[in-house]
Amino acid sequence: MGNKKNTMGRRSFLKAAAATTLAAALAPKRLAADQFRADSLHVWSCGGLSEAFNLANSLYEKKTGIRIAYTGAFAAALGKSLLGGATTEVFAGRVLKLAKTLREKNKMVYFRPLCFTEYVMVTPKGNGAGIKTLEDMARPGVRVILPLGASPPGGDAVMGILKKAGIEKAVLKNAIEKETCVVKMMPQIISGKGHVSIVERRLTRMAAFEGKVEVLPIPETLFPPGPLTFTIGVMKYAKDRALADHYVNFICSREAQAIFERQGFIPADSEKGRALIEKLGVKDV
Amino acid sequence: MSENLTKTVASTPLTWIRRAVQTGMLAVLGQWSFYGIFRCPFPVPFVDCRVCPVITCWGRITSLFWGFWLILPISVILFGRAFCGWLCPGGLVNQVIGRFSFLKLRIRNRWTRIAAWGGVAGLATALYLWLGMGNPRSMVPIRVGEFWNSVTLSFQHATPFWLVRTFVVLGLVAAGFLIANLWCRFACPTGGLLELLKRFSLFRVFKTSACNDCDACLKVCEMGARPDEPNCTNCGDCLKSCPVDAIKIGRKRV
Repeated sequence: MGNKKNTMGRRSFLKAAAATTLAAALAPKRLAADQFRADSLHVWSCGGLSEAFNLANSLYEKKTGIRIAYTGAFAAALGKSLLGGATTEVFAGRVLKLAKTLREKNKMVYFRPLCFTEYVMVTPKGNGAGIKTLEDMARPGVRVILPLGASPPGGDAVMGILKKAGIEKAVLKNAIEKETCVVKMMPQIISGKGHVSIVERRLTRMAAFEGKVEVLPIPETLFPPGPLTFTIGVMKYAKDRALADHYVNFICSREAQAIFERQGFIPADSEKGRALIEKLGVKDV
Repeated sequence: MSENLTKTVASTPLTWIRRAVQTGMLAVLGQWSFYGIFRCPFPVPFVDCRVCPVITCWGRITSLFWGFWLILPISVILFGRAFCGWLCPGGLVNQVIGRFSFLKLRIRNRWTRIAAWGGVAGLATALYLWLGMGNPRSMVPIRVGEFWNSVTLSFQHATPFWLVRTFVVLGLVAAGFLIANLWCRFACPTGGLLELLKRFSLFRVFKTSACNDCDACLKVCEMGARPDEPNCTNCGDCLKSCPVDAIKIGRKRV
C-alpha cells in the first residue's frame, strides 16, 4: 500500500501524458507565432510559381501556425500591379529587372535569388517523330505546337530560343497551332496532335502532365536570360518585418528549395543555381 | 406597369421545394459559376476546366466538371430544360433579380417569340469562340488568391476582349432589373442549348387540349413562358394556376 501511494496513479499518468502530448503539439506553433507581432503574411508571386508556393506555404503554416495569404499569377501581372498602387508584404517575381525596378522605386526593401527556370522540348510518349535536337523541329512534316500567344515571357521566350538557333522561319512553317496558354497546350502534345513543343520544365512536373510526355533538353546557350530568374523580396509594406524575413529565409532554406526543385525549378542554393546567380548577376542593387 | 400589379409570384409547395433545391445547388455549383464569370481566363467558361491554370477553381480541382457534363445531358433527356429552373445558380440569381424587375414581360407577342431564340444566338456565339477560335486565353489568370482581391486583379490584367465578354454578360444579367430574367430568357447559351434539345425529353410540364389560352400560367411564370413552349423550364410553378386544370406533368402523349 505504501508503495502504491508513492507511485503515480493510472489516472494521473494518463492526464500527464495527455497534457504533455498537447503541449508538444502546440509548442512549436506557439513558439514560432509568439516571435512575431503579426499572425499572417501576404505573399504574392508571378511567373508560374504557384504550385511550388502552395506546397511551401502549407509546410510553413504547419511549422509556425502563421497564416499565409497567398496570391499567385502567370506572367508579370502582379509585378505590374505592384509598380502601380497595389501592395503586398513579400513578393516573388520573375525577371530580375522587375525586382531591381521595385528596389529602385523603394517599394521593395531587399531581394534574394529564389530559383531559375529552364526550357525543354516535349514530345508525346514514344516520341513518334524521332525528335532529338532543336533542329528536328524544323524538319518538314514535323507537327509543331507553340505557345506563341501566351502572355509574356511565354511566347516571346520560345521565339527567342528559335531565333537564336536560327530556325524560327522553318519551325513556324511547321506550326499547326499557336496556343494562348501553355497549360491548355500540353494535352495537345500528350494526345499526339502535335509532335513537339517548347515549354518550361515546370510544366512537365505539374500533376496533370507528369510522366505523360518525353522531355528533351535544349542547350542552355539558347535560353533568353530575362525570364530565367525568380527572386523573392520583402516589400516596404511588410507589417512585421521580422515575420517577413523569417518567411523569406524559410523559402530560401534547403527544405523549401527542395519543393521548388521537385516542381521543375533550379533552386538558387544548388550548384547550378549558384552558377546562374553569378552568370546572370542576380544581386540586390 | 399594370401587369406588375397582378399576382406574379407562384407560391406552391413545389415552388418552395424548388427554391430549396436551387439553394442547395448554389452550394454545389456556386463557386464554379462565380469563377466562370469573374476569374475564368477563357471567354467560354466551363469547357476547358481540366486544362485551366486557375488552381483553386472547383471545376479544375474536383470531379465537378465531369459530374456536371454527365448530369446535364441526363437531366435534358429526363426533364428538358429543368436544369435552368431547378439547378442553375445563375438561374437563381436571375430569378432573385427578377423579383425586383421593372417589367415582368409576361406577355405573348411577336417580340417575345423572336427574343426567346436569343439563347440560341448566344449558343452560336459561344460555339464560335470555343471551337472556331479555340477559346483563347484572354487574361493573365490569378491562379491562387484571396477571394475579392483575385477578382480585382483578374479585371486589372484582362484583355479588352475578356472585359467586353464579361461586361456584356454582367450587363445582360443586370438588365434583369428592367426585364425579368432577361439573361435566362433571351441570352444564356446553356439555356439556348437546352432549349434546342428539350423536345427530346421524356417528361415535361404540358398543356392538354382543355387549354383555353387564358394565359393564367404565363402570369405566374418567372420565365414568361407557357408549358412546353419556348423558355419553359419545367419548373412547375404553373401547375396549380390553370382555371380549367389543363396543365399536367409527365409524359405527353402526342
